[in-house]
Amino acid sequence: MERLVGHRFPGGQYRIEHWENFLLSEATGIAPLPDGLAHPVHLFHAPINGVGTSITELFQLAEATPPAPVSIDYYDWTIHTPIREDETYALSGGITAYQRVERGHPPVVDSFTYEIDVAGADGELAARVAFRWHFWRFDSR
Amino acid sequence: MSRPGGIEVGDEIPRWTMENVTPERMKTVAAILRDPTPLHWDREATRKIGFDGRLLNQSPINLGYVVNMLMAWAGPTCIRRIRTEFPLPVFDGERVTAGGVVAAIETDGDTRIAECEVWLDLDDGTRKVHARAWVALPDDRP
Repeated sequence: MERLVGHRFPGGQYRIEHWENFLLSEATGIAPLPDGLAHPVHLFHAPINGVGTSITELFQLAEATPPAPVSIDYYDWTIHTPIREDETYALSGGITAYQRVERGHPPVVDSFTYEIDVAGADGELAARVAFRWHFWRFDSR
Repeated sequence: MSRPGGIEVGDEIPRWTMENVTPERMKTVAAILRDPTPLHWDREATRKIGFDGRLLNQSPINLGYVVNMLMAWAGPTCIRRIRTEFPLPVFDGERVTAGGVVAAIETDGDTRIAECEVWLDLDDGTRKVHARAWVALPDDRP
């Protein structure tokens, strides 16, 4: 998996629709925020889907097939400008780090980090998000 | 406990509780996220990997509870940065409460930023999420 470091996602755009913000906000237990603000947790999936990848492809890159054990190590999100409904964001990014942890017995844990920039219509950076995922290898591939 | 306008280091952030993590919400989120992981909607899949048929809540939603607490405290545009770790999964049927404490206060231009230790716990204190958040505080000047 070390070959993944430097992998760039295609890049693209994402627009958060009102219905999506409504449903995701409700799923966290609150009503949609005022003034067209999108719930900050959109910064999980909007960058993934907008940058031209998907959770499915991230699993494939890691050679993991659901329900293979996958866990999240961390998210690190920096928000420069609040994210809003009905605005189009430009996404760019890629995989920036990889690590394998072996303890001499299963599971081996492969971890990779990806980072995505979220730019507003004015081209200014609205947010930068980084994620590190663990893929647990009980077959010690 | 503190109001954002008069906070001090060591102040507690008012807690925020999700009374019941439900499978229905997990299914909605799986669809929105286009997340194919069956651990969020298929009990047989969670049995196969040792979770005894309990469904796992999506991690961004666990973070969402913490975010809701921060926004209820300091406003909907308050979050400048949040770094989150997920030591344990949250399961369907659980009651979880977000809490936090102000660890430091700094300034960025005219804005005061509270650096906060925040978390998501079960009632017995089991920690499911912990994070450090940098939160812009409302302007309390006259």
